[in-house]
Amino acid sequence: MNAKSGNVTSGDRGNPEMLRGQRDRSDAMRANIKSLYIYVVLILIVVVFSVVKLGQVEMFGRGHFLSPDSVINLLRSAVPILTLSGAFTLLMISGYIDLSVGSAMSLSAVAFAWLILNGLGFLPALLLTLVLGVAMGYLNGLLVMKLRITPVIATLVTLNLFKGIALLIVPDGLSAIKGSAAKAMPAWINDYARMDVLLGLPWAFFVALAVIAVLVVVQKKTILGKYAAAIGGNRTAAELSGINAVKMVWVLYIVVGFFAALAGVARASYMSLGDPLSGDGMELDNIIAVLLGGTAFSGGEGSVLKTIVGALIIMCVTTGLMTVIPAFWQIVAKGSVLLFAVVLNHMLVREKVNA
Amino acid sequence: MSVEKKQVRQALGRRLSNESFNTLFMIGVLLALFGIACAAVPNFYLPQNMLNLITNNWFIIIIGIGVTFLLITGNFDLSVGGVIALAGVLSVYFCQGANVSQNALANGLGLPYGVAVALALLCAMGIGAINAFFIARLKVPSIIITLGTMMLARGIAQVVTRGAQRNTSLPDVFGVLGNLSIRGTSIKISVLIMIFLVIVAFIFEKMTVSGRRTYLIGANPVAARLSGIKVGRHLTSLYLISALLAGITGILMASEFKAGVSNRAMGYEFDALVVSLLGGVSIAGGFGSVLGMFVGAVILSVMTTSATGLLLSPDWQFTLKGIVTFVAILAQRFALDRRKG
Amino acid sequence: MKLTDNVLEIRDLVKDFPSVRAVNNVSFDIKRNTIHCLVGENGAGKSTLIKLLTGAMARSSGKILLNGEEYSPHSPRDAKQKGISTLFQELNVVDQLTVEENLTLGMEDTTLGFLRKTDKINRIVSVMNSLEPSIHPRQRVSTLSVAKKQIVEIAKAVATESDIIIMDEPTAAISESEIARLFTIVKGLREKNVTVIYISHRLDEIFELGDYVTVMRDGRHIDTKPVSVIKERSELIRLMIGKTVFEQYTPKEGACKDAILQVRNLTNHKLNDISFDVHEGEIVGFYGLVGAGKTELARAIYGADEYEGEIVFKGRKLHASPDKVIGAGIALVPEERRSQGLFTVLTIRGNVPVMNMKKISRNGFINAAQERRATIEYIDKLRIATNSTEKEASKLSGGNQQKVVLSKCLFADADLLMLDEPTRGIDVGAKSEIYGIIRRLSAEGRSIMIFSSELPEVMNICDTIYLLFDGSVKDMIRNGCDIDMEKIIHVVTGGNVTSGDGGA
Repeated sequence: MNAKSGNVTSGDRGNPEMLRGQRDRSDAMRANIKSLYIYVVLILIVVVFSVVKLGQVEMFGRGHFLSPDSVINLLRSAVPILTLSGAFTLLMISGYIDLSVGSAMSLSAVAFAWLILNGLGFLPALLLTLVLGVAMGYLNGLLVMKLRITPVIATLVTLNLFKGIALLIVPDGLSAIKGSAAKAMPAWINDYARMDVLLGLPWAFFVALAVIAVLVVVQKKTILGKYAAAIGGNRTAAELSGINAVKMVWVLYIVVGFFAALAGVARASYMSLGDPLSGDGMELDNIIAVLLGGTAFSGGEGSVLKTIVGALIIMCVTTGLMTVIPAFWQIVAKGSVLLFAVVLNHMLVREKVNA
Repeated sequence: MSVEKKQVRQALGRRLSNESFNTLFMIGVLLALFGIACAAVPNFYLPQNMLNLITNNWFIIIIGIGVTFLLITGNFDLSVGGVIALAGVLSVYFCQGANVSQNALANGLGLPYGVAVALALLCAMGIGAINAFFIARLKVPSIIITLGTMMLARGIAQVVTRGAQRNTSLPDVFGVLGNLSIRGTSIKISVLIMIFLVIVAFIFEKMTVSGRRTYLIGANPVAARLSGIKVGRHLTSLYLISALLAGITGILMASEFKAGVSNRAMGYEFDALVVSLLGGVSIAGGFGSVLGMFVGAVILSVMTTSATGLLLSPDWQFTLKGIVTFVAILAQRFALDRRKG
Repeated sequence: MKLTDNVLEIRDLVKDFPSVRAVNNVSFDIKRNTIHCLVGENGAGKSTLIKLLTGAMARSSGKILLNGEEYSPHSPRDAKQKGISTLFQELNVVDQLTVEENLTLGMEDTTLGFLRKTDKINRIVSVMNSLEPSIHPRQRVSTLSVAKKQIVEIAKAVATESDIIIMDEPTAAISESEIARLFTIVKGLREKNVTVIYISHRLDEIFELGDYVTVMRDGRHIDTKPVSVIKERSELIRLMIGKTVFEQYTPKEGACKDAILQVRNLTNHKLNDISFDVHEGEIVGFYGLVGAGKTELARAIYGADEYEGEIVFKGRKLHASPDKVIGAGIALVPEERRSQGLFTVLTIRGNVPVMNMKKISRNGFINAAQERRATIEYIDKLRIATNSTEKEASKLSGGNQQKVVLSKCLFADADLLMLDEPTRGIDVGAKSEIYGIIRRLSAEGRSIMIFSSELPEVMNICDTIYLLFDGSVKDMIRNGCDIDMEKIIHVVTGGNVTSGDGGA
């Protein structure tokens, strides 16, 4: 072969094997930071909140952040986001978003409460609500994948739709579907999300754990998880390999709707009523959790487990802050956490291309 | 040759732009809805009602200007609601008399009204600057950042009002701006300001270089850069303007109610988005119009007023907004496709 | 399905576009388990032919037989399933997945949705290992070099039992040592029951790799023969350029003017130490084939990409950002006019004044009448085929779109115009119109730089021609004297500059 004249001097025209060796080491370090930072953040936050009031309360004693009561309370209120954020992560991995999850959750809570109030047993009411969740997810999938409306706009539309329907179900004059003098809400509605089953934690919590376990497995070991990452990473390559992106993402929207409904059931059970505004802000919490967990906004990578840790961080921050600062500091805090999460995510997800 | 040239000149006449077509289409929709409302809703066709259709959404229209321009470039601004609250609250706080009372919420910085307003607007633009930094500089998706700054802005407002509101120890001049109306009518200054801003925005959009650049950036950001447009700088300006408009709205509302309320303007950012979409903005970028947004706002007015007139509870608005937006998007897509095809 | 001698038979294949017949009754065979090279100049019809084979386009008439059976793919996915895989320049791997996951994408064995570890995976991975053992299956693809990503794609194609793998300029983006490895792999594919269609303009590669070579020119099939039969590089080159008659180039009169642009030691990830001058009123051509670095050079000068080195324009140092470069007086007609040069959703009027809004505005306000006048002026001057200034740019033909982009740049009153592939995808009529415009501009005193992979174009209008290969300037030629066409092709396909005819 003819020798190429001229010197090959610049950039990755040099021996790529050697240069990559150097890059490998810094890449490995980066990868390690990437997988561990979130656990560090969680531990830090727990430590901070545990320490901050040590002057006034005893460690693990009453009123302390890590007291049994406080921990149980935190975990119980974390049930909805723990139930939902795994599925939300899968959707985001595929590169799509659902801003209607909060309203979907509210609508499910309202529907569930309404069914219970009107005489249905727990299981039938649960099943019907889950069907509602599937229907909501189906609608989202239809708008985004079939009608090809931008996900942000489409799910803002359904956000309003679901919220509106929830508000309309609640009779005028009431703020929620709840028990009254005329018709009492059965007391056992609390059983699912409040009743102590093990270690002070309710069924809903363990169901959430099971859901998380299932979704972690789905992400890592099933075709749905793999295809979600493929579609989010390189949709052309995925479709060339025979993947039906429209169908797959549609399924993901349905899954999100399903778990939004389950989260709504937990919320209604916890509060003994169906509040059409109970899910407000849930989509925001999910987004923060997902960002903290290192899911790229454009899709392709992410981790259910890390999102869950992110969700715990949010719960710790919100509950912890409640003990330390007055309620009216909450929103500023949350906004700052979101911006912090964005910066963090931005620094970590930036891929070094062409290694 | 000169005859030929003349013929060529005549042939190269003006044709309706796609934006104008869309706006006209939506005006048609508006008239249709209006007609239905007149027929179906009792007492709809009253002169006062007609006026209200245009005036009762004045705040949405003002912030809609900024939101529309940003949507044309392909970016969101969801922070506007929070900025309205923030600017309003700060204008009160800066203006409240200093050390007049035991109650912390009744004490402010004691600045003259003009200074208070200017400072509040500056703070509003500070939020806009944060948006610009993340979006234009770091290239983070605008939907996330503006959700964050919305919370930041509203959160600061909450902190300043301790979750409630500030409405005491205010000089009389404070309530002037928001409550001034044209002699003999109920049209407030705010409405006039709104109309003025819409006209300015329309001129900006149609006739200025800067307005044109907005469309270029939205239509093809790569080509825009290669054509010498400083995209980052332009986006920064737009976010600052959007924040400024929200700030002005906040000042006017605070003046009208003589109070800085921390949960004012909840959900306004979504309403602004809805009216922009109704007005024909395409999220793909490069298409949209402030005039269309105005028509969209009136359409929204018609819907909400009809709902009230039909004695529907205010809860209907969410469902209505969702359905109306959805139908509008599809209808516009259909109409434009037909026109092009 | 009987195993025919020829894996692919092409019979009288035709592809017509509205203004040109891109593939003109092409017929030839490709023998099974060979490396079959496809060569030809730009515009010869190679890429259209490939698009027909991969199902990206439908043919106008003719027949293709794959393994003896009629083959009509309706999409690249369909083609892949039927046995023809393609290695595109845009790699089709998912960076975020591992090598193993990419290899098995779309072919997983599952039980109830769960991915199963079966022998299939081992088999596929072993195919990968036999090609390149240093790639670990659990590695994330994003950590691989471009060359290794290519190998992963090849392994996937082999594992899916593709009959044919088409490789389109695979060596354009990889280093020399990686090329050697790629060649070993490609040669080994014959034993794996795979036929390779290899497209490259680097003729040395043809001689190193190819069993057969097909030459195309002007949409026609010129010849197909075993590589062993071709004794000299120049023979192949002659087949490629044929008896092309170039339009007469008229040399410029007048004394040599000053240098308006001086580029010194320009270097970046793609370019190597490039230096040259452009003189006032000169039309300078930069000729090279795919991967030569033409676009990178244009973009670097324009400030769209980073670089090291110095550029002096009109006596002043040039700053690296498009708005400053435009301000200094340089305008670029980009390579991809639809995605980089035009605002396709806007009208002609919306496009033309973009680079020099000052001229049609006062104090920031656009003068609509001036705007319309300017648009009409350029519609007249460049003869853009439209009856309205309000026509959407996306609705114009390629030639007219290019004229709009040209108008944009001319409106910027640039002293130096850079045109990257100015007539790509444009019909013959519009082509000569554009050449006329370029000559007129040069006569008016503007300097022009043309970056092109079409030799006739460069020979037609350029006064000076720089030959590019692999990011370096290899040679400089003054147009007009005895031009040795073969020598030019020889240089841009990787031949040595000093020796006349490189050995095969």
